[in-house]
Amino acid sequence: MNELKRHQDVLALHKEEILKGQELYKDRELILSAQDLEVEFTMRGDVLKAIRSCSMDLYKGETLAIVGESGSGKSVFTKCFVGMLDHNGTITNGQIMFEGRDLTKINNEKDWYGIRGGKIGMVMQDPMTSLNPLKTIGKQIEEAVVIHQGLRGAEAKAQTIKMLELVGIPEPERRYKQYPHEFSGGMRQRVVIAIAAACRPQILICDEPTTALDVTIQAQILELIRDLQKRLGMTIIYITHDLGVVANVADRVCVMYAGQIIESGTVEEIFYDARHPYTWALLGALPQLGTKGEMLPTIDGTPPNLFTEVIGDAFAPRNRTALKIDSLAEPPFFQVSPTHKVKTWLEDERAPHVLRPAYVENLSDIISNKMYTQPKDENVVEVSRKDYEMMDDFSDREVLMEVKDLQVSFGTKRKPFVAVNNVNFKIYRGETLALVGESGSGKTTIGRALLRINPISRGEILFKGKRIDGKIPRDLDLEVIKSCQMIFQDPMASLNERAKVDYIVSEGILNHKMYTDEEDRKAKVAKALLEVGLLPEFASRFPHEFSGGQRQRIGIARALIMNPEFIVADEPISALDVSIQAQVINLMNKLKKEYQLTYLFIAHDLSVVRFISDRIAVIHLGEIVEMAETEELFRHPIHPYTRSLISAVPVPDPSVEKSKELFVYDRAMHNYKSDQPGWHEILPGHFVRANQQELEEYKKNLVFVD
Amino acid sequence: MSSKAKTILANTRANLSGYNKLGSFSEDELFDVVDYVPSAAERTGYSDYSYWRCVFQNFAKNKVAMVLFIVFVILFIFTFIAGNIGNYSYDEIKPDNTQILIAPNSQYWFGTDNLGRDYWCQVWYAAQTSIKLAAVVAVGEIVLGVIIGLLWGYVRQLDAFFTGLYNTINNIPTIIYMTLIALLVGRSFTIMALSLIFFGWLVTARNIRNMVLIYRDREYNLASRCLGTSTFTILRRNILPYMISVIIMRLTLSIPGTIAWESTLSYLGLGLDASTPSLGVLLRNARSYFIDFPYLLIFPAVIVSLITITFYLFGNAFADASDPRNHV
Repeated sequence: MNELKRHQDVLALHKEEILKGQELYKDRELILSAQDLEVEFTMRGDVLKAIRSCSMDLYKGETLAIVGESGSGKSVFTKCFVGMLDHNGTITNGQIMFEGRDLTKINNEKDWYGIRGGKIGMVMQDPMTSLNPLKTIGKQIEEAVVIHQGLRGAEAKAQTIKMLELVGIPEPERRYKQYPHEFSGGMRQRVVIAIAAACRPQILICDEPTTALDVTIQAQILELIRDLQKRLGMTIIYITHDLGVVANVADRVCVMYAGQIIESGTVEEIFYDARHPYTWALLGALPQLGTKGEMLPTIDGTPPNLFTEVIGDAFAPRNRTALKIDSLAEPPFFQVSPTHKVKTWLEDERAPHVLRPAYVENLSDIISNKMYTQPKDENVVEVSRKDYEMMDDFSDREVLMEVKDLQVSFGTKRKPFVAVNNVNFKIYRGETLALVGESGSGKTTIGRALLRINPISRGEILFKGKRIDGKIPRDLDLEVIKSCQMIFQDPMASLNERAKVDYIVSEGILNHKMYTDEEDRKAKVAKALLEVGLLPEFASRFPHEFSGGQRQRIGIARALIMNPEFIVADEPISALDVSIQAQVINLMNKLKKEYQLTYLFIAHDLSVVRFISDRIAVIHLGEIVEMAETEELFRHPIHPYTRSLISAVPVPDPSVEKSKELFVYDRAMHNYKSDQPGWHEILPGHFVRANQQELEEYKKNLVFVD
Repeated sequence: MSSKAKTILANTRANLSGYNKLGSFSEDELFDVVDYVPSAAERTGYSDYSYWRCVFQNFAKNKVAMVLFIVFVILFIFTFIAGNIGNYSYDEIKPDNTQILIAPNSQYWFGTDNLGRDYWCQVWYAAQTSIKLAAVVAVGEIVLGVIIGLLWGYVRQLDAFFTGLYNTINNIPTIIYMTLIALLVGRSFTIMALSLIFFGWLVTARNIRNMVLIYRDREYNLASRCLGTSTFTILRRNILPYMISVIIMRLTLSIPGTIAWESTLSYLGLGLDASTPSLGVLLRNARSYFIDFPYLLIFPAVIVSLITITFYLFGNAFADASDPRNHV
């Protein structure tokens, strides 16, 4: 009972919601139940225990989110429900009861046909690979309609078009005849969901359906899934590594770690009354909650090796409040409420009262401070006098990198594709400029153009006032190579698998002989590794021995060893788990301070950028539409595209997220035929792309208040 | 303490008796907060995979391939010592007419040929020549093919040139080139080796090029370019290591291929001249006698088949084992 007292304020505040959530689960009907499930994989002769005695109940009509870092076994666990384990994996123990039948006992494909798709459907992560490129969208959905709804001919077609409508695809009649390549990523995911829904499954498993998508699209897909669940009365299992998404979509949450569910409860209980240190850590690591200038709370280290037997609580080595018993004995489940149970020794009566971190307690406060509240009249932008006086037009700062009228085009001269057009910006020494936009907006192209990987077709790039595009003298070339470096997006693809870390990190200094002797080189590698929080002995290992976050840090060490002044970070964290993102962001901030680095930080997610950047440039379809100081942009977003991006950021608070309205941007709202848009400074240091008419409108809507 | 937790704790104590750690602490101590050790948290949980160890482990699993490999090694060693354990030298012509075309017996293990030479020594000497040629050609082909393939795939400006060159050479049947070379330049070991290398690199280069295209635009190569790494170093350190399975596959296909080519060409009279016995030359000589003296055909034919089949199968298995996609 003492536990409850500790944060009774928080609980009192959300008491009604928590009770309402628990109320929902009274006398709920069980639809699927997994008991003591164990799954083993054999890999190169070793046995990996991916699921370690994991139990889960699924209730009819609920949305259950399973949250965990990659490698925690959340995908493997749910794949058992549809008999889709990889061929080297086997269920060694436990049972999965569904419709009075144990699914673990099914061992021929034929028996699965009746269940997979028809009763339990699945939506995969990557919409780019889950559709057949040689068949029209209509045919692919119709297949499911014919098999599972028993319709034929015109009836089936009509039903297919209805499905397309249901998942929110405009002009379904025309889209019916199109092929997957004519659809964008978000649209494809809608189609995949339509196929799954056309089978009329009782349970739909969504395996990270939005991880590969942009934030704006993610928000729309989440809305679609919620809507479908209501309309078709499905039960949904939603797998994700992002707690922010969970608040939006889930009724109940299971937190998974190292092949076990370690906490489960209603979404309100998890967000307002979390009990497991790992859940606290997951909540704290959300970049949405970070305060600039402070470190984000992180989950240090890496998940355990499941090739060896885990003794005690698997999270203990990474837990800053671990008890002695954690490393010796596995904790049992403690029941907190009828719907809430947790597997940690902290709940034991003899355990000391470990204070839960402040950021968990103050979750709601932090969020409400940071929320962008749309003014009542949605066009008006209120600017307080105080803010206005604080604005800075940066005229007195040193410009490190400057881009003038940049255009980059690909393809042939006859048929060019203009990826980036009319881009102008300056990067000042010591700042972090964030470049935010959807995939395909040209943000990576700009980053690569600055580092001269992509040739430019028009405009100028100046580094410290000297032009560096096109052919440049050898000594300037060397200087630019040494002072400008890049950090890449995908930690899996950005390291050479066949080279040791030692070579990868020292590649730069080897190229330019930036060391005196072998000893010196080794010392420099060790220093760079320590700098990014890795152990020097890792130098003799190969990249595949490391987790995603560690690999990304090796990539940073590789850039850092050159002593650069300017770093282009191309979505350095978007391929990482949320828990690991915080580590990398903290590291980048620390290095920035220590070495006076200047960053161009490319991202597709505004929430991450807010924490790390000084200024933000929002890019849409190859053109920068708005640029301002970070907080200024969040306070006074002017361009409609910026507003849509801000409203799409998932908020890790169920009460806020469940009542949020999305702001959708449509490019057709601009009329640029006669009146060409330009680049205007609407407030000091705050630029927006608009034509004369729009500019006047924006200015008219600026209201100065005290 | 709840009764449930108590029983579980008791159970864990029992389970952990093997570790015998739990017992050494008192119950109060067990619930003390312990210090956080960063290095313990950072300790990686990933496997100690080694590329070459995995290649050999995978290969060793394939029992047929292992047997074939052993057969090949024995055959290979035997070709180089067999001539010495025979009773005669391979080019020793018996002046005595009665010694020609004798069927295999205890004195002449493989019989004698139409000039009265000991066939045992001839066959093994011929196998030696063929294997030497195959080895030289295979290495030459791989070296040339890999260099050209890497440049072809990685350097965009060279793509059109090499594609044109490839098509030009590849579209005319090799047998025509070989005939012309044999007639105009001459016939010897060196000429044969050079001309086979000259046409053999095509396939290797194309395979390598296709593989390079897969890896060329990976981010780690961009990273190397950002660090100012030279194209040569990128090819050597970033691309070449990924080509190992293709190279092994080409190598193992090229050796039996060359032996077959040599036999074909020599059989047609376009290969090595009659004074250096190779398996092809023996087959050609046997052509006129084999109806009456089948052993003249059988011995070299069996050895050609044995070398090509064992090497081909073992090579395929090794190439499979060296493909990292199979390292599961």
